[in-house]
Amino acid sequence: MGRRIAFACVFLIGIVSAPALARAEVPVHIRIIKGSKTGPAKMDDSLLVLKKQLSSLAYVRWTQESDEKRTMSKGKIEFFKLPDGDDVSLQLKDEQPDKVTFEVVLLARKTHNKLTIERGQRIVHQVSGEKDGSAFFLTVIVWPDAR
Amino acid sequence: MLPWRTTYVNFRSRQDVPTVEDDDLALVQRARLGDAEGFRALVVRYQRKVYAVALGIVKDADLAWDVAQDVFVRVHRGLDGFKGESAFGTWLFRIATHVAIDSVRKERITQRDDVDEVREADLEGAGEGILATSLGNDPRETLLRHELAAKMEAALATLPEKHRTILVLREIEGLSYEELADRLGIHKGTVMSRLFHARKKMQAALRGYAGVRHRAPAAGSDVERGTSEGKVEE
Amino acid sequence: MKPCVRIAPMIGSRPGELPAEDARALAAHLETCADCRALAASFEVTDGLVAEALLARANARDFAPFVDEVMARVGHRSPRAAARTDRRSLLDALRERWRIAVPALAAAVVLAAVGTFMYGGEHVVAEPEQRLASLEVELSGEGSIVLQTSDGPVVLLAPDDDTGS
Repeated sequence: MGRRIAFACVFLIGIVSAPALARAEVPVHIRIIKGSKTGPAKMDDSLLVLKKQLSSLAYVRWTQESDEKRTMSKGKIEFFKLPDGDDVSLQLKDEQPDKVTFEVVLLARKTHNKLTIERGQRIVHQVSGEKDGSAFFLTVIVWPDAR
Repeated sequence: MLPWRTTYVNFRSRQDVPTVEDDDLALVQRARLGDAEGFRALVVRYQRKVYAVALGIVKDADLAWDVAQDVFVRVHRGLDGFKGESAFGTWLFRIATHVAIDSVRKERITQRDDVDEVREADLEGAGEGILATSLGNDPRETLLRHELAAKMEAALATLPEKHRTILVLREIEGLSYEELADRLGIHKGTVMSRLFHARKKMQAALRGYAGVRHRAPAAGSDVERGTSEGKVEE
Repeated sequence: MKPCVRIAPMIGSRPGELPAEDARALAAHLETCADCRALAASFEVTDGLVAEALLARANARDFAPFVDEVMARVGHRSPRAAARTDRRSLLDALRERWRIAVPALAAAVVLAAVGTFMYGGEHVVAEPEQRLASLEVELSGEGSIVLQTSDGPVVLLAPDDDTGS
């Protein structure tokens, strides 16, 4: 009888905690893109979803350098290597049903920026200084099904 | 103590947009079969760019809105005739160009100062650099460029229709000389000349903003007789 | 006639657009003609600005009604109108299968109540009249700038100390 009660408790704890555990893993879509001020205005087809955010910038030519989908959990830090050799880290600081907070750290520039976005929104973050009219950007969106 | 600065920023909820993984041709097929969502996805994907092209050509925002809608209505009617020989976007923007030009046809007929060939007088003032500001990597320069971009639209509106059209198609669609020649039904040499005139006129219109002075031509010179550039405000 | 008159329309061409002979003539002329060189530099600086200006105007405009207007003109109902029809169909289906629908609905209400009890206190509930989401940005380092868009934030970095291009 005691064993049955113990098993029932474990089962109930599992049912109760499963949603919390399931929510802790957040699917994230990350890209490294390059913006250039020179050359004709052009944007890779895969970057058309970023048009609204990118059109406000001085860069007119956009190409995708890398494209990854990862699963991140709270507190976990992911590192990304930029084409120019520098590193950028991305950490999931907080996760709510409709909002998530990321910290973007640029090690070479001693820059730590925390941004909170809601579902369906995207962070576009410059991650390198401009060189020869070009710069690299990191884009992050959670729940990739939302685009 | 960390140098944190907390900024509260308000973001408006965004309109849902179809996934970019949907292939244009697949959407066209769905739309042909009567799938409204397939056609809707195409509209949402291209609506802003079509509007931008229309705005550049017709100048008026409300007319550009109507023109852009007309474009998609015509596209819908012509879906069965689209064979996929060119990219859907190419076909779409071909329609957009013709609809926009048709809507300003009256302007085109009455325009007189639209000589295509490049003359020696057109080159006066070419030696002066435009935009003394270097537009470097300072984020504040990004805002200056933003401001300049706002001036560009006003400057574009001062151009004759065929110069506006060719510049808009060159820049927004990135069309090559040959593609422009094909789209507009003109020779490649005419494309190049028109683009030259269009850019030169834009430079003249922007000189006032950049604070670059234009040297007043000497009395009786060919420049004074032939140039189309105006004087710059102090 | 000055050679500039023949060369000038070639300025601003992209790689591959000119025949090889013309491309060579253009390059050679730009090496010797300061005026044409200045013109080429001017064109390059402003290259893309027309597109940027027009696309920015397009992005700033509220396009929410655009697609519905187009769909109405081509004879398709909006998803909202279709959804109204779907809801009526759903109600009809529930009426027919009430022996399944009622217990399922009761279970859903219980689960929702449990979920609210367990997780509701931890999250901020938006006020009904609040149509804009209030989000937070914390910046450290030197001179990052945040630009607002409805799709999310765009963060720019301060310029490097050494002068760029």
